[in-house]
Amino acid sequence: MSGTDFDSPDAGGGRGKQHKSVKKAGVKIDMTPMVDVIMLLLTFFMLTTTLSKPQVMRINLPKGEEKDKLKVDMGTVLFVRVSEKGNIYTFRGNSDGSEQPVEKVDVKDIKVKLETVAALNKQKNLDLLVLLKFDRKMKYKTMVEILDQINMANIDKKYAFLKMEEEDLKKVNEAGG
Amino acid sequence: MKKIRDIKKADIKIDMTPMVDVIMLLLTFFMLTATFKIVESAAVEVTLPKSSDADTSKVPDTKLMTITLTKSGDIFLDVDNPVLRKELFGDEYGIGVYHPDSLTQSEFKTSGKVGGQDFKRPVMFLPTKGEFEKKLSDIKAKGPRDEKGNSALRIVVKGDQDADFGAMEDLMASLKETRNTVFNMLTQLKREKN
Repeated sequence: MSGTDFDSPDAGGGRGKQHKSVKKAGVKIDMTPMVDVIMLLLTFFMLTTTLSKPQVMRINLPKGEEKDKLKVDMGTVLFVRVSEKGNIYTFRGNSDGSEQPVEKVDVKDIKVKLETVAALNKQKNLDLLVLLKFDRKMKYKTMVEILDQINMANIDKKYAFLKMEEEDLKKVNEAGG
Repeated sequence: MKKIRDIKKADIKIDMTPMVDVIMLLLTFFMLTATFKIVESAAVEVTLPKSSDADTSKVPDTKLMTITLTKSGDIFLDVDNPVLRKELFGDEYGIGVYHPDSLTQSEFKTSGKVGGQDFKRPVMFLPTKGEFEKKLSDIKAKGPRDEKGNSALRIVVKGDQDADFGAMEDLMASLKETRNTVFNMLTQLKREKN
């Protein structure tokens, strides 16, 4: 590539080289300012873009009036009670209105838990209704994670938010808070 | 002088063309994907919680009512239509704020800040649940309609991951009260660690 072989009478490639050299001498475009400007623009756009677009989780609240009470077979119910600290406790209901002993579950195990309970209920020809009772001081993040697990679980997605009553609070505290 | 330059050139020659090509491509890409924040309609910044559900439905971006729940439990109420904003919040860039939990203090009311940052938009403080729900109903009543005359308003809830659930519970109660029963919660896609 050095200029020394400029005069060598090479065939083909040599001619090309010669041609190029002549051109360079004629029009010389300095790219540096353009590259500078483009670099600046590039940096600007790289810094101002937001690439990870958020996704959405759709929630349908019941349309009915508060006084329209619905009778539910307690045998279909799985209570998910969450304490202030974010500990998650599940309680299965019995058809006679009582509740089975508490089970503490980890957030990432809720999906499996729901599927197991749904399968057990199915043996008795019952649906699954998940009743969520969240402590007011619990983090919003926990709620999203639980809803996410419910959405991912391969079950009928029937769930409802209920207020955490004194009674629920007692149960949660008994289970370890 | 000229001679020296010529010699130098002969020694090191860097071809900038491929680099310029690549940079140009990158530039075009970022120019096309860029979305700008307009200062006046800047959103309230929150850290969204993560979810991994495969619901990849797109985030609605028009006919919006945005409800933002901050870490301190303030609820910001915003619509994307400046005319409606002016009517409801008294300014084309106005935004409403409501603090449902009486046990805690509204960060905005006590310090005028949001998440420790100054907030530039004119804010209307909604002191009671009644006023907050009135605004919700007004937005639904005066908001966008589809061809059949039904409300085409889409509700997006942006909650901070560290916000208390209590505020969300109150918000859901208010939404239900005002017949806004369908809403979208914004989350960030969780990357599985496998």
